[in-house]
Amino acid sequence: MTTSQQALLILLLPAAGAVLLAGRGWRLPRIVTQIVGPGVVWASFVLTLALFINKASGDFTYWTWIKSGSFVVPFNLLIDNLSIFMCLVITGVGGLIVTYSVGYMAHENDASYARFFTYMDVFIFSMLLLVLAGNFVFLIVGWGLVGLSSYFLIGFWYTRRSAVLAARKAFVMNVIGDVGMILGAFVLFVTYHQVTYAGVFAGIGHCRGGLLCLANDDVPLELAAFLLLVGAVAKSAQLPLHTWLPDAMEGPTPVSALIHAATMVTAGVYLIGRMHPIYDLAVYAHGAVAIIGVVTALVAATIALVQTDIKRVLAYSTMSQIGYMFLAVGIGAYSAGFFHLMSHAFFKALLFMAAGNVIHAMNDEQDMRKYGGLRGQLPMTSIAFLIGSLSLVGVIPFVGFFSKEQILGAAFSKPGDSLTLYLWGVGFVTALITGFYTGRMWWMSFAGKPSPDRPVEHPHEAPAVMLVPVLILAALATVGGLIQTRALGFGPQAVSDFLSSVVGAPRWEGGGAEIAATAVTMILAALLFVAAYRFYVVRSWKPWSAAVPWLQNLLTRKYYFDEIYNAAFVRPMDAVASIGLREIEQPLIDGALDATGEATEAGATTLSLTQSGYFRNYVLVFVAGAVIAVVLLLVRAG
Amino acid sequence: MSTLDIGGSQLDTSWFLLLAAVLFTLGTVGVLVRRNPIVILICIELMLNAVNLTLVAFSRQLQNIEGQLFALMAMTVAAAEAVVGLAILVDIFRVRDVEDVDDLSELKG
Repeated sequence: MTTSQQALLILLLPAAGAVLLAGRGWRLPRIVTQIVGPGVVWASFVLTLALFINKASGDFTYWTWIKSGSFVVPFNLLIDNLSIFMCLVITGVGGLIVTYSVGYMAHENDASYARFFTYMDVFIFSMLLLVLAGNFVFLIVGWGLVGLSSYFLIGFWYTRRSAVLAARKAFVMNVIGDVGMILGAFVLFVTYHQVTYAGVFAGIGHCRGGLLCLANDDVPLELAAFLLLVGAVAKSAQLPLHTWLPDAMEGPTPVSALIHAATMVTAGVYLIGRMHPIYDLAVYAHGAVAIIGVVTALVAATIALVQTDIKRVLAYSTMSQIGYMFLAVGIGAYSAGFFHLMSHAFFKALLFMAAGNVIHAMNDEQDMRKYGGLRGQLPMTSIAFLIGSLSLVGVIPFVGFFSKEQILGAAFSKPGDSLTLYLWGVGFVTALITGFYTGRMWWMSFAGKPSPDRPVEHPHEAPAVMLVPVLILAALATVGGLIQTRALGFGPQAVSDFLSSVVGAPRWEGGGAEIAATAVTMILAALLFVAAYRFYVVRSWKPWSAAVPWLQNLLTRKYYFDEIYNAAFVRPMDAVASIGLREIEQPLIDGALDATGEATEAGATTLSLTQSGYFRNYVLVFVAGAVIAVVLLLVRAG
Repeated sequence: MSTLDIGGSQLDTSWFLLLAAVLFTLGTVGVLVRRNPIVILICIELMLNAVNLTLVAFSRQLQNIEGQLFALMAMTVAAAEAVVGLAILVDIFRVRDVEDVDDLSELKG
C-alpha cells in the first residue's frame, strides 16, 4: 500500500464506519456497533502509526474537485509531521474515548446507541479531514463538519430542552468562526490565486492581485490572519466567542472528553500552527493570538473557581489550557503549543472520563457539593483523577508540568520582546489559580466525608471497558512528559524535533532564570492545590469568597458574558425578527399569498357559472358563435 | 341566377337553398328548445339533411358530381353517428330514470 492510499484510508475508514452504523446500526445486534464504532478509529490509528514509523510525508492530489479557468480546487491530502502528529492524537485518544463510550452509553436503547457511535465516527472523520486537508477549501469543509458533529453530539439527548439550546448555541458560535475562516481564505485566494497551502505559502511575498495589494502583501496577510483567527477563536472557545463551551457540557461525557477537550477545541491551535508562515509575517494578528490566549486562560481559570458542576469546572479549565496553547503559538513557540495540545489531550480526556465514571456511579449527579468521600469507594477512578489533576496543575513528573512550563518558560525568556514578560505574568497567575481550583475539585469530590445529599450511598467502580481507557490515559499522563523535558533545561525534546520540519526548530533557548521561574510556579501551584484542602474539606480557613462577595458574584455570573450577549445580540435580533413577523411577513408576504388564493377562487367561482351542465346552453353558445362567425364573414365579404 | 332542370320543369336554385335554410333553422331551434333526447337527435338529422340538400343542389347546378358524393358521405356518417347517439341514450335510459336532457346536468360547475 502506497502512502497516498494509506492516507486516504485513514480518512475514509471512520467515514465508512459511520455510513454502516447510520444505515444499518439500529437493526444489527449491539455487538456489531460495539466493534465497528471504536474499531474503525483504531484501524485509522494503526495506519497513522505506520505512517509515523515510516517517516512518511508528501502532498497527494487524488483528483480535481473544481476547475473553472484559473480557479482549481484539487482534493489533496497533506502528510507531514504536523498532520501525522495531529492524527495520532485524534485517533489514539479518540480511540480510547470511543472505546470508553461502549460502557458509558450502555444504558441507551439500540437505536440511540448506534446513533451515538455514528456521530462519533463522523466526528473523527471530520477532524481527520480538517488536519489532513492540503487546501483551504477542504480545511473549511472539515472545519464546518466538526462543528456539525459537535452540534449533533451536544444535542444527543434531544428531548432535553437545555441540550438542544446548548447545541444551537454551539453551532451559531461556530458558524461565526466559519464565516471568519471563509473570508480569510477568500482574502488569500484573491491575493495569491491559490487555494492549496503549498501554493499560498509559496506565493507569500508575491502579490498577484486584488484591491488589498499595495506595495507589498502586508495588508492582505494581516487581514487574512485576523480572519482566520476569528475561526480559531470560535472553534477553540477563546474570548470573546467562548460561551458555547461550558454549555456544551450538556452532551454525554465521552463527547465532552473527545470533542470539547481533546480534539475539536484544539483545532484553532492546529490552524495557527499550520498557518505559521502567515502568522510569522502578520505580527499584529500574531500578537493578538497570544493576548487572546492569556486573557482567556486567566478569565476561564477565575470562573472555574466558583463552578460547582464538575464538568463545567473541567470545561473552563479546558478553555484556560487552550489559552496557554494560544499563548505558545502566539509568541512563536509552536512546538511548545503542540506539546501542550498533546499533553492536554491526555490529561483532560483522562479527567473527563474519570469524571464520567464518577457521574455514572452517582446516578448522573454532576454537582460536586453532593459528592465527597469517594476516594475509598472509587479507588481506581480517584487515583486516575488525581493524576489528571496533578498534571493539570503542572506537578513534576506528570505530562502537564513539562508542557505547561515549557510554554511559560518560552514566554518568560523570549528575547527582544518586552510584551511577553507581561504575558508570562498573566500565565503565571493563571497557573496558581489553576492549582487552587483543581485542588478544590479533587478534594470536594474525593476527600472528606460523604455529603448528606449524595445520591448513591455505596457507589460501584466502573466496569472494565470504562476503567481500562482511563488507566491507559493515566499512564500516558504520568510518563508522557518524559519524551520532552525541555522545561527542565536538559533531556530529550522529541515533540520539538518531530515538528521542526513543519514549524521550525525552537527559536530561542531558556536560561537559568527560566528554570527558577518554572520551579517557583510549580511549587506555588502545588501549595495552592494543597491549600484547597483547608478551604473545602477541613474548612479551618474561611472561604475566600466571604471577603469579596462582589467578586464571587461576578465569577458565578461568568463575567456576565451571557447576559451581555443576550442584551446586545439575542434580544435585538428577537425584536427585529418579531417586527419582521408582525410588520412584513404577516401583512405583506402572507397577505399577498392569501390575496392570490382568494382572487383565484373568486374568479373560478364566477367562471363556473358558465358551466350550467344543461345541454341546450352549450348548443346555444355554439350556435351563437357560429352565427357571429358567419355575420363577420359576410361583413368582410360585403 | 341560374336554374335547375327538375323533371322537365325549370326551377331557380335559390328555392332549394331557401328550403335548406328553413330546414336547418327548424333543426337548430329544435335542438335548442326540445328536451326529449330522441327528438333532439331527429333535429340534428334534419340539420344534416338540410346541408345535404344544398350540396346536391349546387352539384346539379355546377354539373359537378363531387357534391352528390359528399352528400352520400354525410349520410353515412350521420347513420353512424345516429347509431352511437342512440346506443348512448339506450344505455342512459337503462340505468337512470331520465325524462329529458335537463336531467343530465351532473357536469355543472
